[in-house]
Amino acid sequence: MTVAELEEHLAPIRHEYADPRSLILPALRYVQGEAGWLPPHAMAAVAEATGFSQAYVESVATFYDRLYIDEVGRYCINVCVTLSCMLRGSDELFEHIADYLGLDGEGTTADGMFTLARVQCIGACDRAPCLQVDSGVQLGPLEPADATCLIDDLRAEPAPARYDR
Amino acid sequence: MPELNCVYRHREFGDHLTSLADYERAGGYLGLKETLALSPDDALYAFHRSGLRGRGGAGFPMGRKASFLPKDTGKPTYVVCNADESEPGTFKDREIIEHNPFQLIEGMTIASYAVGCERAYIYIRGEYEAQAQVLDAAIAEAREAGRLGPDALGPGRPFDITVYRGAGAYICGEETALLESLEGKRGQPRLKPPFPAVAGLYGCPTLINNVETLASLPPIMHRGPDWYAAMGNEKSPGTKLFSVSGHVLNPGNFEVVLGETTLRELIYDMAGGLRPGREVKAVWPGGSSVPVIGADSLDVALDYEALNGVGTFLGSGGCIVMDDSGCIVRASWRLAQFYRHESCGKCTPCREGTGWLANILGRMVHGEGRGEEDIRLLESLFGRIEGRTLCPLADGAVMPIQSALDLFRDEFIRVAHEGSSRPVPMTEAPVG
Repeated sequence: MTVAELEEHLAPIRHEYADPRSLILPALRYVQGEAGWLPPHAMAAVAEATGFSQAYVESVATFYDRLYIDEVGRYCINVCVTLSCMLRGSDELFEHIADYLGLDGEGTTADGMFTLARVQCIGACDRAPCLQVDSGVQLGPLEPADATCLIDDLRAEPAPARYDR
Repeated sequence: MPELNCVYRHREFGDHLTSLADYERAGGYLGLKETLALSPDDALYAFHRSGLRGRGGAGFPMGRKASFLPKDTGKPTYVVCNADESEPGTFKDREIIEHNPFQLIEGMTIASYAVGCERAYIYIRGEYEAQAQVLDAAIAEAREAGRLGPDALGPGRPFDITVYRGAGAYICGEETALLESLEGKRGQPRLKPPFPAVAGLYGCPTLINNVETLASLPPIMHRGPDWYAAMGNEKSPGTKLFSVSGHVLNPGNFEVVLGETTLRELIYDMAGGLRPGREVKAVWPGGSSVPVIGADSLDVALDYEALNGVGTFLGSGGCIVMDDSGCIVRASWRLAQFYRHESCGKCTPCREGTGWLANILGRMVHGEGRGEEDIRLLESLFGRIEGRTLCPLADGAVMPIQSALDLFRDEFIRVAHEGSSRPVPMTEAPVG
């Protein structure tokens, strides 16, 4: 990801905002889609392409849950644990996935394939218990066995061209 | 118990109105046609006369909110659609966006004509990427057909919509935090006043409304504000979407005429009721940020005033149901964890207070409670948090927990002494 590529991506939407500051979030999302997370050089590229300081860009990025300032796996498994999902077994679902991935709770697998996280309500309580792979479609209701299949399927996929996050 | 598909028009048309042609065949854009025949001021007056109230949670009259925007300021005017839908238990806007996106686009066009806006924004939560893509496609199609673009409101009268994705922050559903986020900042609420109507996006007059509110405008303008105002009771006219989830057999969205359906009918007749042998223990009727009510309130009518009458709020319409297998302290702890996680950190009472609530409830649940001392500590916190912050997130954290303690005091005391083992969750698949 070069600054020029990022600028090219931002060019068609610049006119939509009265203040170029509004480009920071779309830019962060775009570079994260390329790199999977936001390493310092990605923050620097966003700073240069938008005209704000890297420190400011980082101050924005650190506010949002779905912008990753630490490296995450190829797929982020985001299990909703808020009330409606909890009532229908999200804690058990989360623990099953953690066991299956060999994780002690939240974290990234040693092979770098999966980052497992508990997340707050993802707006799919009708599908409780539900999860999202990155920011994909909300999947549910899930039995533990469904989650196992999902993980096996993801493991068999080739690396994505862009990250859906 | 009439169900009326006014906002959920797609349900009358095979559940799918994601192409412009289908939407127009279903009566789409007739509301805009009626609107463009009126002056902007007359359109505003029609919003007002319809009695439509904001459907995001606060219930403020939509027409009045729109009338607060100053005119002739020399600055642009903006319309912003709040599609951040992050209130736990709420997934009604998701269905509008997924299945009926053009009704939202038409509604935004109508609102923008009335307040003189040329560029509107849909702020959608980052977790709704799949839904944002539906909007992108619908907007592109509307642009192609000239429904958006340089002549959207008539020759030489431009109007267009930008979809802006958040990146995971409940607080960005609060309107001033949303504006901060849309301006490329950390999503922290602003001090009000000034209100967004006067100084909103980029310091300009801004109308912010929820997806459901804006999607209500096309039928209102097509069939007339008086038709809408005649539905339901005088103070709560029209239809409202309810999302029902938790311990019900048929979780989902239901559109009802306000005041004509009871909470019991919503839970038992529409949402499939509970598992055999189970009874309702607690309901958070308007998302998780409202006071919880018990089984003795099930016959309340679903409208703003009646729900206030039983000590709670209609809120977002995200109705979470817990049956008698659930532990109210555990549920309250889970909500406290939510608010602790989502507190933006700007105001000390919220940043620190939500953490205290979560810690105390957590140790009670895990059998490490300090008996009545913890109950007194909880009670001492409520007044130190509620009403002492810039935005209502903190109030939303206190209300469900304080009301739970009032309603289920004996259970709180027992758990504070003995802890609470994890209940077996409901695993029944939804019916139908």
